[in-house]
Amino acid sequence: MVVFRSIFVLSLIFMASLAQANSMTELDNALKEAKGQVVYLDFWASWCGPCRKSFPWLNAMQAKYQAQNFKVISVNVDTDRSAAEKFLQALPAHFSVIYDPKGKIARKFKLKGMPSSYLINKQGEVVSAHVGFIDNKKSQYENEIIQLTKQK
Amino acid sequence: MSKAKQMIKMNKTSMIKVATVTAVILLSGCSSLGVEPWQRDLLAKDEMALTAAPLDAALDDHIYFSKEASSGGRGFGGGGCGCN
Amino acid sequence: MQLIQSPMPAQNSNKKALKSLLTTATCALLGVNASVEANTNPLADWKFDTALMVYSEVNRVSAAEAIIAGTKTFKNDEILNLKVTLDALTGASANGAVGQPNVQTFTSPSGGSNYRVDANKTPLDDTFKDTRAQASAQWTQPLANNYTWSVGGNFSKEFDYLSLGANTNIAKDFNKKNTTLSAGLALAYDQIKPSGGIADPLTPMLFGNEVISGTYDDEGGENRSNKVTIANSDNKNTVDLLFGLTQVINRRMIVQFNYSFSHINGYLNDPYKLLSVINNNGLTQQYLYENRPGSRSKHAFFAQTKYHFAHSILDASYRYMTDDWHIHSHTVDLHYRMNLSQDNYIEPHIRYYTQTAADFYQPFLQEGSTVPEFASADYRLGDMDTYTVGIKYGMPLGSGKSMAFRLEYYHQTPKNSGFSQPGVLAEQNLYENIDAVIAQVSYSF
Repeated sequence: MVVFRSIFVLSLIFMASLAQANSMTELDNALKEAKGQVVYLDFWASWCGPCRKSFPWLNAMQAKYQAQNFKVISVNVDTDRSAAEKFLQALPAHFSVIYDPKGKIARKFKLKGMPSSYLINKQGEVVSAHVGFIDNKKSQYENEIIQLTKQK
Repeated sequence: MSKAKQMIKMNKTSMIKVATVTAVILLSGCSSLGVEPWQRDLLAKDEMALTAAPLDAALDDHIYFSKEASSGGRGFGGGGCGCN
Repeated sequence: MQLIQSPMPAQNSNKKALKSLLTTATCALLGVNASVEANTNPLADWKFDTALMVYSEVNRVSAAEAIIAGTKTFKNDEILNLKVTLDALTGASANGAVGQPNVQTFTSPSGGSNYRVDANKTPLDDTFKDTRAQASAQWTQPLANNYTWSVGGNFSKEFDYLSLGANTNIAKDFNKKNTTLSAGLALAYDQIKPSGGIADPLTPMLFGNEVISGTYDDEGGENRSNKVTIANSDNKNTVDLLFGLTQVINRRMIVQFNYSFSHINGYLNDPYKLLSVINNNGLTQQYLYENRPGSRSKHAFFAQTKYHFAHSILDASYRYMTDDWHIHSHTVDLHYRMNLSQDNYIEPHIRYYTQTAADFYQPFLQEGSTVPEFASADYRLGDMDTYTVGIKYGMPLGSGKSMAFRLEYYHQTPKNSGFSQPGVLAEQNLYENIDAVIAQVSYSF
């Protein structure tokens, strides 16, 4: 019984570490898949106050512009995945979530604060970056999305 | 200028120098400390705030201000009462 | 992808109604127009912290204090904090005189009545009854370039005391917000209007049957007082400067260093405190009103660290204070929060404090020797050690509400800093210990 349980736990750990090792690959694939679409890449964590405020807005943007080739991809940087899942239960995300518990993607993007977001054009190039989420910047962000979706 | 006054003046300038050097060392030393923005899960907790229970702190400040000869330090000196 | 809003449960609307009521009350007290806020933003954005505390000394003072604080975070991370405090104090506090082998009689501050102190007891004035109302407001907002700015004011009123204060603070974050430097300034104006007027310093306490003329007396008519008064009221001004450095060490640890300077100018006496004048046999001849210097400059160095262990948090701080009254003090404060299951926690607390005496402190004056320029027998200015031990238990109540209970024991040990006690005074305890209990309930919603 104990042996079975430890094998089960070990395989879980193995799978988890595999998932961690592949967080970067996971993002690469997601971005490749989204080529030709405008991507709003958002880094968030369950403990980050402004992230809480950004979720309803991200859901709204996803719903409003998905027909215009727009997509939100988010990266969660919680070290403890269960904390992120608890957060998502309270504030469901209507967009994809990539788990980056070791901060590999975060380090690659050299985040300057939380939340951080990047706008990626249809050619897959990062065209702008934002740190933090405050209400009076919402319309500015939305305008940027509109501009990019209009581009070829 | 008397020798004593010169000494005091020298002491003042050297004190300012020492303070500046200390501040620079402290700040440059500090830049190698700390965490990345995505590593603040523990620090972001309410209970990790330096003053995690502000009302407890305010009540304590009031008690100790009225019962002891020292006050403040954490924040401003307190007071605002006759406190007998 | 359901975006249907669920109907609001009854409990929630109750909470909203209560919040709305409290917000209106808080704002009304502070003169802020609540209804304007209500139109632009729901009241649910307010977070309230409340606390009720009882402080009770064995055989001496008891005080009850209630605080309600409301905090609102606005759209762009501006924070408004409004706070109202009410407290009431009753009981006896040491009047500064020494115990005697015989019964002693004192006049109450208003001069209208006498109180007696039994033989071999520390003289306590039990005529104190006071209530205080305090209101404060603080506005904090982020500025460009990692600056944060804060400004606030407070108002406090007791029957014999008025305090007005204003403060401002600026902070800047460096190194990915791992380092914060801050500087603050606070100004306060305090006015004291003691019962029976301001005594002429170092003049004797008079007794009820001695009617004096030419003194300030609000009541009119009979100029009955227990002192020679020089004014109805007096005041003091306080300037506080605060400089701080906060540094994140690693994922688990943060430290803070503060230096503060405080300068107080004006009437710093305790208008109700006396000194016994004794003869060579230790017998009291008369009581003089105390006199403290007209200014005080304090320097305080404060260091604090918090460390997050796996399931607990250590909060340790130390303060060194020194001033031009030659008081030096050290304070060590430790809190250790241990998380139990489901976000419940218990938090033991220990505080140790020690101070040296002010240079003008003396437990009594001696007949025949010259009266010093400044003298006070207030034990709070003498050599003293104190400690506090306590425990707090906190629990979440769901949907952002929480409750906490705190119980503490506070002990003061005033000490003799080398004064000999002539004659019958040798038999008296001039440095009586004081024990107090602090009980508190907090509720946040």
